[in-house]
Amino acid sequence: RHGNVTRPKPGTGVKVHFKDSKGNLLKTVEANEGDDLLSIAHEHDIDLEGACEGSVACSTCHVILSSEHYDLLPEPEDDENDMLDMAFGLTDTSRLGCQVHLTRELDGMVATLPSATRNMFVDGEWNYGIVVSHGRMGAHGRMDLQERNPLIIN
Amino acid sequence: MAPIKLAIIGAGPSSFYVASRLLSLLPPTSPRHSAINIHMYDRLWAPHGLVRYGVAPDHPEVKNCTNKFDGTAKDPRLRFFGNVNVTTTAAASPIPHNLSLPFSSLLQNYTHLLFSSGCTIPTLHPALPPSDRCVPALSFVHWYTQHPSVADKPPPPLERLEHVSIIGQGNVSLDVARMLLTPPSTLEKYDVPNNVLDVLRKSAVKHVSIVGRRGPLEAAFTTKELREMMNLEVASMEPLDPGLLLVPEGEKLTRQQQRTMQLLQKGSKNKPGSTPKTWSFEFFRSPTHLAPAPEDTKSSAYPLSLTLAHNTLSETKRAVPTGASSTLRTSMVVTSLGHHGEPSAWYDSALGHIRTVGGRVVNEHGQTLRNVYASGWAAMGARGVLASTMMDAYAVADTILSDAFPGEFRKDDGDALGSVVPLGDVSKSAEPVLAGSVTSPDSPPAEVVRGLEDGVVTSYEDWKMVDAEEVRRGEVCGKERERMGWEEARRFLQAKCGDSVAQS
Repeated sequence: RHGNVTRPKPGTGVKVHFKDSKGNLLKTVEANEGDDLLSIAHEHDIDLEGACEGSVACSTCHVILSSEHYDLLPEPEDDENDMLDMAFGLTDTSRLGCQVHLTRELDGMVATLPSATRNMFVDGEWNYGIVVSHGRMGAHGRMDLQERNPLIIN
Repeated sequence: MAPIKLAIIGAGPSSFYVASRLLSLLPPTSPRHSAINIHMYDRLWAPHGLVRYGVAPDHPEVKNCTNKFDGTAKDPRLRFFGNVNVTTTAAASPIPHNLSLPFSSLLQNYTHLLFSSGCTIPTLHPALPPSDRCVPALSFVHWYTQHPSVADKPPPPLERLEHVSIIGQGNVSLDVARMLLTPPSTLEKYDVPNNVLDVLRKSAVKHVSIVGRRGPLEAAFTTKELREMMNLEVASMEPLDPGLLLVPEGEKLTRQQQRTMQLLQKGSKNKPGSTPKTWSFEFFRSPTHLAPAPEDTKSSAYPLSLTLAHNTLSETKRAVPTGASSTLRTSMVVTSLGHHGEPSAWYDSALGHIRTVGGRVVNEHGQTLRNVYASGWAAMGARGVLASTMMDAYAVADTILSDAFPGEFRKDDGDALGSVVPLGDVSKSAEPVLAGSVTSPDSPPAEVVRGLEDGVVTSYEDWKMVDAEEVRRGEVCGKERERMGWEEARRFLQAKCGDSVAQS
């Protein structure tokens, strides 16, 4: 679960750099060991959503980590991996922010917010208000969406 | 520019995410802060849509999203009106006690309109007409969530059913299977109403077959739900034909497909033969016929014979019949084949949802309706979980605002807010359907005001009082909450208001 975090004395905490999907720095913050990235983001008004409030029941706090720091983290548990399966824009260094707890060795870690899709128009009989990817688009219904790979505009 | 007075049809997660995004883009520091009012309408007397009436009771964490919705609802620019059915078709509401609000009332009283009305109609199977022994999964979900449309309907006759066949292999199918295969003693701490638990305690269901027309790589369920099936305490999975667990030559699997195959290869935690209940996947099977079982083999526990055509995959991954078939003896069939929208204005029956381009509603001639939008399943079809719903809702909200105030908003990364699809000139628009300006920026139509006074229409504050009482009643029996139906909630609210009037 994520909860309220306190801010360490400046210069004494673990540094995290939050970036937007284009790689622009949003904010560099300091947090305590043990704090999770979702709580840290909320404390510092970073736009990272957490619909299920840190209970590993959604993928809205999906973040992409710098690879050297990703490798230092313990492997995700099954329940986190199950949610990552459905995250949009999944990468090899993706984690759920609510499950990443800071340690000293993660000082300087970069956490990048994944890109959200933009509204788009697809010619012909397909009209999407938004295009998202969550694994497979399903095997049901009149439209066999599986056969299409929707374009994503960043 | 006249202020925005937005009516939202539907008060589920999509609505709340759109509303919260709109309101947060116009904070107190914005010169346009007071330039918006949002009214949410739902035919359900309680807000939150599928979060309350769809999410499986054993997935309580998903419902944490309502905490954010509560926060959004505190903004005085947002109002919720429950038990109101906006009539956009000739059909009567599925909920008899709704206040009917004609669509024309919304068009006359609001400057902007958003459909977040979901996909409420189950897709049926052409070979399986509904009967008392062949029901859509939605009716089952409505039963265990006490949806107002089934308040007077009898529960499923679980005490007479030993075998249930679920057609469809999505997450709703697995939700229904879990409800049938989880001991009531495990379910009773969750948000499962007491009368539902009573029926589950008498259930005779011993086996659930989950039928899909294609194979494990095409199934629509997701890993979490599959894992929960494998970990059921008192039920085990019947072994699969090993051929089904082989990955075809040269097939590149997605991450989710790989993890699905690993789970299926490992099998259930409890091995078959060790548990009182069992379940199975019937892959590559399409139902063609349901009939009473032949007289000489008839037993009352399995009175039905379900004929299943066998399938293989075409090159384009479609299910094609092989010509072979078999029969399955069963007590009840539950069809779980997805949902489509109601035939409201601008609904496209080929798509199964409202026609949109970039979140803006479009008519059959391809013309954009000014200030009319659709979000969530109403716009996309019945696919997607909270994360995708949220992303779509935020994009639609961005478009509403950037259409209303062009060029005024930019995202943090410098990009313009809203749709990449330009709004276009007036010649590409349909005739306006909404009021250009309104007499009152924040009052609902007169019939809704009367409905509130009469206690027929619920507000968010009403909901929060009922919410607190449901939780209090739940605490008494050690569960998450004990739900009230409409009649009970209405009596409770009237008594509460009576108390506060008496004290004033």
